[in-house]
Amino acid sequence: MRRAVFYVVLGLAAVAFLYPFLWMAATTFKSPAEVGGLSLLADQPTLENYRLMWARAPFGRALINSLFVATTITLSVLVFGSAAAYALARLEFPGRGTLNTVTVAVLLVPAQLTLIPTYTLIVELGWIDSYAALIAPYVFNAMAILILRQFFLQVPRSLMDSARLDGMGELRILFTVFWPLAKAPLATVAILTFMGAWNEVLWPLLVVRDEQLMTLPQLLTVFSLGGGAGPRQLAPKLAAAMVLVVPVVVAYTFLQRYFIESMASTGIKG
Amino acid sequence: MADVSFERVRKDFGTTTVVQDFDLHVADGELVVLVGGSGCGKSTILRMLAGLESVTSGTVRIGEREVTHLPPRERDVAMVFQDYALYPHLTARENISLGLRLRKVPKAEIGRRVRWAAEILELEPFLDRKPKQMSGGQRQRIAMGRAMVREPAVFLFDEPLSNLDAALRGQMRHEIAQMQRRVGTTTLYVTHDQMEAMTLGDRLVVLDDGRILQVGRPIDVYRAPVTLFVAGFIGTPPMNFLDGRLERERDRFVFVSDALRVLVPAKRSLDSAVESREVVTLGVRPEHLALAGVPGPLTLRGQLVLAEVLGATTHLHVEASGRRVVAAVPSGPVPVPGAAVALSVDPRQVHLFAADGSSLLLDSHNL
Repeated sequence: MRRAVFYVVLGLAAVAFLYPFLWMAATTFKSPAEVGGLSLLADQPTLENYRLMWARAPFGRALINSLFVATTITLSVLVFGSAAAYALARLEFPGRGTLNTVTVAVLLVPAQLTLIPTYTLIVELGWIDSYAALIAPYVFNAMAILILRQFFLQVPRSLMDSARLDGMGELRILFTVFWPLAKAPLATVAILTFMGAWNEVLWPLLVVRDEQLMTLPQLLTVFSLGGGAGPRQLAPKLAAAMVLVVPVVVAYTFLQRYFIESMASTGIKG
Repeated sequence: MADVSFERVRKDFGTTTVVQDFDLHVADGELVVLVGGSGCGKSTILRMLAGLESVTSGTVRIGEREVTHLPPRERDVAMVFQDYALYPHLTARENISLGLRLRKVPKAEIGRRVRWAAEILELEPFLDRKPKQMSGGQRQRIAMGRAMVREPAVFLFDEPLSNLDAALRGQMRHEIAQMQRRVGTTTLYVTHDQMEAMTLGDRLVVLDDGRILQVGRPIDVYRAPVTLFVAGFIGTPPMNFLDGRLERERDRFVFVSDALRVLVPAKRSLDSAVESREVVTLGVRPEHLALAGVPGPLTLRGQLVLAEVLGATTHLHVEASGRRVVAAVPSGPVPVPGAAVALSVDPRQVHLFAADGSSLLLDSHNL
């Protein structure tokens, strides 16, 4: 009986979380007359909202921009973050302790605080309206360094020694010994970074005005701000939001095993 | 293959010196065992030879080449680690061949060497398994195979059997000795295990506090330890020690303590110990004590605390003048615990140490 109550409560909670998303997904397939209803099924399913959304703004281009920017940022964070984490965890050099402290300190600085100096720098570099402006500020990530460093500290020293005796240099040790062992933390960093880069709105709004360079959430924001909130406008906006959400959900579905494993081992809360 | 030499090698970690004045020459094809307690510097010496640890001062040579400051990959050494250090994401075959692939050895040659090592180590059935699918002994053999296929100038073993159970340890010890003799590669082997130290090495190097205490054939070190530390460290059960003084009786020397009087071989070096009346330590190995039928002035009297029957031998633990003494005697009828017993000492087999721990009966250190 207690178990049944438990499942009912969990079920209600799941519905509370899932219903808005499912409603959004269902509404994108509804005709304007049905948009206001709470039903999760469309009487006459249509792809018209997607067609409208695609026709009114360059969402295809924005999707490609977002994929390119988020993927580049994610790969950069994995490569540079793991290299920095490896050095901080396993190499002896003067100032290592200070660098570790600075890395933690960076996490304490709110992003809003560095927004204006970074913007000024991008303007000075002449990178406004470029991919560089969207990518460069995010290629290093202190949280990624900390997560990976924590994992690399647990790799036995003898494995590194063995690799050195086998003839490997530091970069080869990192990418051929540490990376295969670090699938879970790398997946966690990849998901967190990709989601962060994919959902970023404020920074692209500041540094990109050219519609052809806009990312998906940026274009969606611009798109949502115009055209009013009536049923005819709402459904295409929700369709755009679906395009934004689906890649993240797909990526999470594939990587969730590593993600949960790593969250459990590193104690990070999602 | 090559010989190895350390010349006045020193290693400091910050303000702590862990190895000092280390001089050792290992001949081509020789197997030398470094033995000592935890923190004596034996693993550090191995790591300095491998290039995994820098040398604070001194010179390390492999063959004619000075390798003191060369990176590990340029030293032509292969090492077997205590925890095996196998790459968990690679199969046994890939683990064994990785070093060769990185050195761009032709594929056919890699295949030949892997088959050769697998055959010697009986690894053929496990070559396509990953380390986690193998037992400790199989993993250890993979680690040995990885070292063998490299055909290095020097093999280094850093306590390779410590993680195995007793039975497997015995078997692997035998396999390592066999393999080393078969390939004839110069080998340095670090252990704290008595059995490995005594049975594996052509020579034994006993270390304490970063210094060499004695070098010699295992049996020579066992029979003629040059210091109290070596005497107590080599041998299981360990040597028994009794404190007392030396007295001269005409042309004879007698060790006298509360529990025992023993005639000791006459040596000129004993004169000063007699004159100074310093406390000296008598050492006698358990197998050189025997149950005496009749207690006499030259027997050690005490109370039997415990009798451990090991099969052919029985270890008698005897409490004598507040000290625990162990005698290893042939198994047979033994007194019950609590009984008074007398142990006779073979005076030709005793060791005598001065207050500073040096041997009073050996003329010089066997270094």
